[in-house]
Order: sequence, then C-alpha cells, then structure tokens
Amino acid sequence: MSASPESAQPILSCTNIRVGFDRPVLGPLDLRLGRGEKMVLTGPNGAGKSLLLRCLIGKARVFSGQVQRSPRTKTCLLAQEHPRPALWPLNGHDWFRALGARVPGDSSVRTLLSRRLDRLSGGQWQLLRLAAVLHTSADILLLDEPANHLDAEVRDSALGLLQSLPPNTALLMTSHDAQFLAGTGFPEVPLADLL
Amino acid sequence: MNSDPWWSVPFAGGLAVTLMLAFAGAGLFLRGSVWQALAVGQWAALGGVVAATVTLPVVPVAVSLAGAVMILLHRIRDRERWPLALFLAGLALVTLLSANLPQANLAAARWAEGQVYFLDRELLWTIVSVTVASLLLAPLLVRIWLSAQASPDVGLRSTHRGGFVVLEAAWWVGVLVLGTAALGLPAALAALLLPAWGAASVARGLSGFLALSLLLGTTVFMLGWFSALHLDQPFAPVFVTWALIIAAVPRATLFLVDSWKSNGSRKRQIDQRTGDRRS
Repeated sequence: MSASPESAQPILSCTNIRVGFDRPVLGPLDLRLGRGEKMVLTGPNGAGKSLLLRCLIGKARVFSGQVQRSPRTKTCLLAQEHPRPALWPLNGHDWFRALGARVPGDSSVRTLLSRRLDRLSGGQWQLLRLAAVLHTSADILLLDEPANHLDAEVRDSALGLLQSLPPNTALLMTSHDAQFLAGTGFPEVPLADLL
Repeated sequence: MNSDPWWSVPFAGGLAVTLMLAFAGAGLFLRGSVWQALAVGQWAALGGVVAATVTLPVVPVAVSLAGAVMILLHRIRDRERWPLALFLAGLALVTLLSANLPQANLAAARWAEGQVYFLDRELLWTIVSVTVASLLLAPLLVRIWLSAQASPDVGLRSTHRGGFVVLEAAWWVGVLVLGTAALGLPAALAALLLPAWGAASVARGLSGFLALSLLLGTTVFMLGWFSALHLDQPFAPVFVTWALIIAAVPRATLFLVDSWKSNGSRKRQIDQRTGDRRS
C-alpha cells in the first residue's frame, strides 16, 4: 500500500527546520516524503503534529532550515476541524468545486452531494471533506486527524477512500485513532523520531 | 424630472444598484463580513455629506473615505469591535456636521432618507459602468467567495493572490458607495444584508442562493418603489420595511414546513405506539 522511502522519488524534504507562528516552537527536525509514499505521524497531543502539517502548506512560519518540494508540486490539507456556520447555503457539489476536486464515484459520498452542508451530520461532513481532499489532483495530501467525528456508518467508506488513493499521491497523516490507523495499513512514524 | 415622466432613470438606476447590492450581500454572507459593511457604508455616507457641504463631487469623496476604512479594516484582526467603533465614529461625525452646518444637514437627510426618485443621469451612467464591471467580474467573485469557504482546509483553489483581494475590496467599496448614494444608507444596508439572509435559509446550493438573493432584492425594490411613491413616503424606510418582510418569508416558510414535518412524524410515532398496544 505504501511505497518505501528508499524506493520512492523524493517529493518533499525538510532539513533542520524550526517552525511556529510568532516564534519557533518545534524543531529542528528532518522529514523526507517520497513520491507516492504514505506515512502516519504519531505523538502525544501538543507535540506539534498539526503545526508541522500547517507549516508544510504555508500556514505556519519556517524560522530556519529548508523546505524543498519538487517543481509544480500541488499540496492540499484536511484541517483537524472545520466548524460550519449555522446557516450555510452550500451543497456537496459546491464543496468539491471549492476545493477544486473531481466528483467521486463512491456511492456513500455521491448521496451527500446534493445536500446542504449545514444539514449533514458530523460524520457525513467529515466524510465529505475527506473525500473532497482525496479527490483533488494534489501530489501531496496532508490529513490532520481524518478519523475525527467519523461514526460507524461512514468509517468504512472513509477507509475505502484512503485505500483507493492513486499510487503516485504522497500522504502525510496524523491520527490518534489506533483502529482507524490499523485499517489504513500505512506505516507509523513517531514525530519524536524526526527531531 | 419633466424630461423623464416615467421616472425611468431613477427606476433603472435604483433597480441596478439593488441587484448589485443583493449580489454583494450574498458574497458578504459567505464571507461573514457583515460588520465591515456597516462601517464602510457609514463612511461612504459621511463622504457624501462632506462632499455636499464643501461642494465637491460626491462619488470620489465617498469612495475615498469608504476605501480608507476598507483598507484599515483589512489590516485589523478584530472583525467585530473595530468595524462597530468605526461605524459609530462615522455616525457621530455625520451628526455633528449636520447639527452645525445647514448644507450638511440637508445632505445628511438625503443620505438617510434615500432620494432614489431624484437620481440623475450622471449617477445613472456611473451605476451602468459599475453594473457592467460587476457582470464581467461576477464569475471571478463567485470563485473567490467559494474558494474562501474551504478554509481552514486547503484545496487546489484555496490560494488568494493579493491582486484579487484588492480587486474584490475595490468592487465592494464601489457598490456600497453607489448603493448609499442612490438608495440612502439604511436602504443600501438592507439590500445588502436582508435578501441574502432570507435566501440563505432555503437555498439548496450556491447557484440557488445567488439567484434567490437577486430575486428577493428585485421584489423588495419593486415593492419599495411603488409603495413609497403611492404613499408619498421617504424611500429608504419603506424599502427597509419591505426588505425585513420579504427576508422573513423564506425563513417563516421553512419554519412552518419543519414544524409540519415534525408534527407529522410525531403523529406517526403515536399512531404506531397505539397500534402496538392494541395488538
């Protein structure tokens, strides 16, 4: 399911980076992600996993060190939480357009497309968000706790979507959900090992 | 007005401005920047009052002041208190000017009451220009508003280039200034906020939301136009009253449908329980 780092072409590499918002709070750390490589970052709450993902998408500051990407690499992020406005006149099709994603064939997702986003359950909303990010043509996907809010009804669909990712798409994911992680089959890398 | 017995100039200008405001209001609703509109609209009105007092062209002065407030608000993180404070400051300045200068008093009354029936050809041409620009910009604006919804997720279209941000902000200011100049501040704010609010409760997607906002805006303008004329009342308060009523219709309909559905399902549950006991 996941390519080994040794065999994969490097698509992203971080060397000795220190990251944070107002000041550096994580690092120095090194990370190398091969083309098509799938990896799960683990570590306790507050260790800096989400910060690292935000830094890789340009939403947090790199104070020192180097982040290098292959030319024309496209990166997408599924944030840990996406609070919905109480009144939100958008439907699933709009959401896929907002992310520049193509509509998936998966029936569990297609049934949600015509519904308003503010009337989906928490699990359905998370599944829709995950499906949209996974159906962009990004070369690197950053998923921050994708198993959040997934109930039994949509969990298998989410795992199915993850497992059907194109082999060339690299993925860096965080999760505390051991059962979900086991379902993905992606190798786990403790954040502490990168420091 | 003798050269225009059918009031076609103010009617066309007022309707075009209302449609632009309703469209802008849909974007404002998606952006969640309601407070900004209050502040920018009030400072546009202040610019209009100042320009009328010192006999300068109204639109450039109003655009300058409203634009300065928009730039300031873009640089501030607090999206509620600062816009409200600026709105109050603008209101205080208009009140002080109108209390001390007779010319400002007349202008302030005009901007508050909304003198759409006296909209002249000069302002109409400015409105036509901005309407054409809005039609050309609409697809881009919709794409910007839609991609902004993705945050904090980041998709392939989630990046915002600085040029687009400036373009969008300039368009907001232009529409709001024209709306305030043509309809008066209360009516401009009502056209901006209320049709989109009403549409948001029932629309099933972005296209429907935009279309319904425009339809509600048009309905409000028609009702406001004819009833203010017929009753010989100032346009802005009549327009605001209709906007409140029309915006409430979709919300009230939705409430009634939801209540009817929940009553129906409760009745079915009771019937089922009664049937279970009997059997």
